[in-house]
This record gives sequence, structure tokens and C-alpha cells, in this order.
Amino acid sequence: MNANIADLVDSRTGRQSRAIYSDEAIYRQELERIFGRCWLFLVHTSQIPGPGDYFRTFMGEDDIIVIRQKDGSIKAFLNSCTHRGNRICRADRGNARAFTCNYHGWSFSPDGALAGVPLENEAYFGELDRSKFGLVPVTKVAEYKGLIFGCWDANSPSLEDYLGDAKFFLDVWLDAMPGGSALLGETQKMVLGTNWKLPVENVCGDGYHLGWAHAGAMSAVQTMDLTGLSVGNSGVDLDGGLSVAGMNGHMVLSALDGVSGYAFYPDPKPILEYLEANRQTVIDRLGEVRGKQVWGAQVNITIFPNLQLLPGLNWFRVYHPKGHGQIEQWTWAMAENDMPEAVKAQILENQCLTFGLAGLFDNDDGDNLTACTEQSRGWRTAQMDVYTNMALGRSGKREGFPGDIAAGLVSEHNQRYFYRRWQEHMMAQNWAEVPTYNINSLADQEAEHA
Amino acid sequence: MLDRPLSPPPVEVIVAVTQALHREARLLDNEDFEGWLAMLGEDIGYLLELKSRRFRADRSKPLPLGPGVIFNEDLGRLRLRIDRLKSGYVWAEDPPNFIRRAVSNVEVLATRAENEVQVHSVLVMHRNRIDGTTRLLTAGRTDLWRSEGSAWLLAAREIVLDHAVLPDSNLNAFF
Repeated sequence: MNANIADLVDSRTGRQSRAIYSDEAIYRQELERIFGRCWLFLVHTSQIPGPGDYFRTFMGEDDIIVIRQKDGSIKAFLNSCTHRGNRICRADRGNARAFTCNYHGWSFSPDGALAGVPLENEAYFGELDRSKFGLVPVTKVAEYKGLIFGCWDANSPSLEDYLGDAKFFLDVWLDAMPGGSALLGETQKMVLGTNWKLPVENVCGDGYHLGWAHAGAMSAVQTMDLTGLSVGNSGVDLDGGLSVAGMNGHMVLSALDGVSGYAFYPDPKPILEYLEANRQTVIDRLGEVRGKQVWGAQVNITIFPNLQLLPGLNWFRVYHPKGHGQIEQWTWAMAENDMPEAVKAQILENQCLTFGLAGLFDNDDGDNLTACTEQSRGWRTAQMDVYTNMALGRSGKREGFPGDIAAGLVSEHNQRYFYRRWQEHMMAQNWAEVPTYNINSLADQEAEHA
Repeated sequence: MLDRPLSPPPVEVIVAVTQALHREARLLDNEDFEGWLAMLGEDIGYLLELKSRRFRADRSKPLPLGPGVIFNEDLGRLRLRIDRLKSGYVWAEDPPNFIRRAVSNVEVLATRAENEVQVHSVLVMHRNRIDGTTRLLTAGRTDLWRSEGSAWLLAAREIVLDHAVLPDSNLNAFF
């Protein structure tokens, strides 16, 4: 398989074989080498604030329950009874003192311990060692400033190292204001007949599709300039933004104007007032570059493999693979806790309007992603390639920012790094074989100045 | 208190409102959006809230800012959505999808206001999209219809969608 994977992606020329979207054996290998190995987003701490609060999610196709413990810590378990395998929790979220399996009534406490077994003495003759039948915990669970991640691989880097210099951008949401962050509303779930990599690619770097695929939505709600992008893809300002990659497989698109995140709000005024009232605080906390240029701007952050968050447009999303060529897309609105309630409410409202289940923008993407998947399945199309070869070789260093950076939001620079990371993971037998890189790392930049 | 039960609305009202529901479905099926907008009151509230699947005995607190929505529209926002659909740029709707609505389980109830009725109904929406992919969406609706002159206008609609996961890649359609 490895020789095959080496041939399927060429990041120097921006070529991908369509087999990476259509070959079922590759999908099975992704479940092992990507979803079984990488740190995956589980839940935001705001979604399970109190003891006994739980949230159901997925790691790859594995069903997971994440539970807040009595001591405030967070544990995550496979949502599967250790007796016969049944799902023990069928709710999306809630608060519970215990989880009892529907099949034979085995009961598990929030710390995963097997707490009760019907007929334990009468039918098991008191010989069942309950300590061996607790829920199976996710190998590693860690938090970065409110974001809880899980990882199956004991040999993975720490979450902090895994995120690397992407933390520079994550902090623009998580740590801009002292009150921190929250996710709002119920989970917005949609099933899409697409390979999971295509929506990630779409958001991680593809500013090119915005003015064309979303022309109808832009014509309906655009109220501000966004790096010159316009209906019909008739213009672009490459100086207005950055495509940042080369950070352990994480990617960022960022405008640099400090306001354009709210370009697709019919009435952005209350939010712009919040930004200007607090901008000095953010500059004090994060410095001039992030405080003035990035906070409030359109920013797309992708944490490899399947997490995307867009401060500004304020949607936060994970893609769960659901078998070969199918995903569930889960979305929430994101806010800063220091925002006035009215601003948070407006954000939830606008996120639902633009990137919700009937989102003016979101409803443009699904059919394209689905069709790209379907057009990789034919006898002939499966043998063909697709290309992300825009602006090849036009990237470099940018003072004050980490990463290998290409100019503008319209480039295919980030997508090439996404597929490069995919290939690195797919070819590696284990974490030791996965390269680590933070190109133009912040640590190196600091050392140079010292 | 005047808490005695309200008399059922006259048969003519039940017929007129039921006919309005059918007419509305036909206008939407035919993408006669202007015709549909003309059936809406100036103060229309059009709401479809998100929900989650929870245990009956769940004790968790309500979400601080509520569940969020799929639709929370006034007349201006419905017009904005329609302007997008009519912009000529919504590629997912061209060629047009085959869409058919069936309205059922209509119950017309009197309210305290003489010119208003509350209406429960079920909407089944059949969407045949792209290369023949069919999606069937069902929803319950609770409406307020108001008589203005000779016409009945939709003054408010609350929709409950019967799907935990939206089984389609867009919702470029009204319920």
C-alpha cells in the first residue's frame, strides 16, 4: 500500500489521484492511520459545564461519550457496553448519574466503572470481576484553552506539540479576551455523500471558490469588503490576506483588516462596536499583529485532520466519516464569553443564516463536494488526477507570523500542505515515522531576535 | 375569567384556510415565490428551531442562548432568501430540482381573536435532486392565519422538522 500512497499525491506539483476519494481500502487505512492516530476534537468545555454533563461524539467511526467528572476533570469512553457491545448512550447530550445498557441492564458510572450487573450473584455466581469490564477510555484526553481533544495513540506528541504554531491563530479566538470562548446552540448535523477530505480542503485554503460558488449568497448579504473578493470572482486583493501552512498539517487563511470576519452579516454594527471597544485589550494580550489585523478579520483555521473553526464568521465544525464516501458535518456557533448577550445572540443567529442547515453559503457547497466524490468513482475517473496547482512555489516567510506563507486568500498553497500531511500519515507505520515541522517557527523567530 | 371553550370556526373558514395551505404548497412547488410572499402577513414570523435527542429524564439545564435555528425569518429575511434563489447564481437549483409538497392532518382551531385561527398541519416534502437522488422530509407546522379583507394571510409559522440529521446537502426550500 505504501508504494501506492507515495504515487497518489504529489505536493510539489499539486496533483492528487482521484483514488484517494474513491478507493475503499484507502478509507479503511485512513481510519487507522489518521483517525486512529491524530488528536481529534471531542468537545468544548462550555458544552459540558457541570458534573455529570455528557456529550456524544465520534472519533472516526467510533462512538464516544465525553463526561464531566465530579472533580471537574473530563473523561472520554467508547460508547459501547463491555458485555455484548451495545451502545450504552443513545442521546446526543445531557446530564446523567449513570449510563445503563438497554440490552441486559449493565450500568456504568460517569467515571466509566461498571457499577451494576443484574443477577450478579444469582446468574454469575458472584464470579464476575467488575474491575475488568469498565468502559474503554480514550487513550489520551487533553485540553487546550477550552478545546478538549482525544487521541488513541499512546505514542503521539503532546496536544500542545501536536497543535504547534497553529496555537498562534487558535489564541485569536480562545485567548483574545480574558473570559475565553464558548460554543453556542445545539449541534447542526447534516449528512453529505462526500469523502471527508473534500470539505476540509474546501475550507482550509480554497478562497478561490468563494466569489463563484457563493455568488448568490454574497449578493444577498455581503456588507463589507473581504480582500477584494466579489460576486462572479471578478477581483481579488492578494495583499489583503495570507494562506498559512507548513505547521504540522494545520492550515490558516487570514485576512488582515481586523473586521472582515463580519463581512457577511446583514447588520455588523453591534459587533464592530464590540471589536473597537475591546481592541486595545486584545492588543495588550496578543500583540499588535494579531490584535489589530487578525482579531475580527476573516480567519479560517484547520486543525488536521477534521476540525475547522472560523472566528469572525463564527462557525466551528467537525466532519465525522460515516463509511466510505459519506460524512456527517457537525456545526456550532462560536463566541467569546466577554461579548454582550445581544452580540452572542446575533452571532448565533447569523451563523445559522450563513453556515447553518439552511445556510445561505453552506447550501452552496454540499452538492459540489458530493459531485467531486461521485466523479472519482467511475471506472475511468478513478484513474484520473485532480489538481491544486495554483501559485506553485510562491510562498515564503512573513515577519511576525509562523508557517510557510502564500499571499492572499486565493491560492492552493494550503491544500497542497493538507494533502502532503495526509500522505505523510498514510505512509507512516507509527508516530515515530511522522515528520514534525513548524516552518519559520515562532520559537526560531524569537531566537533570531534575541 | 372567560375561560369557556371556544366554538369551532365556521366551516367556510376551515375550507378557506385549508385551501390556502394547498395553494401555498402549489405556489412553492412551482417556485412562484412572489405569489407565496403575497400570502404572508407583514409581521410574519417563520421559525424552525434546532433540537437534540435527549433522554426523557434528562436533567441538564437549557442552553444559555437557546438551541439556535434553521429558520428564524421575518418578511425581510424571507425576501433575502428568495432574492438569493432568484439571483441566477444558486447553481444547486439549476437545473431545477423536482419538488412536491403534500399537506395533511389539517386542524383549524379558533383563537380569542375573531379574525385569526390557529392551524396545525403536516408537510411531507419530496425532493428529487441532481441525478435522481430522492429525499423525503417531513415536518409538523403550527400556524397563525389571519383574515384580512377577503384573503387569509399567514401571520406566524413554527415548524418542527422530523430529522435529527438533515438527510440532504442543502435546504433551499420552504416548509
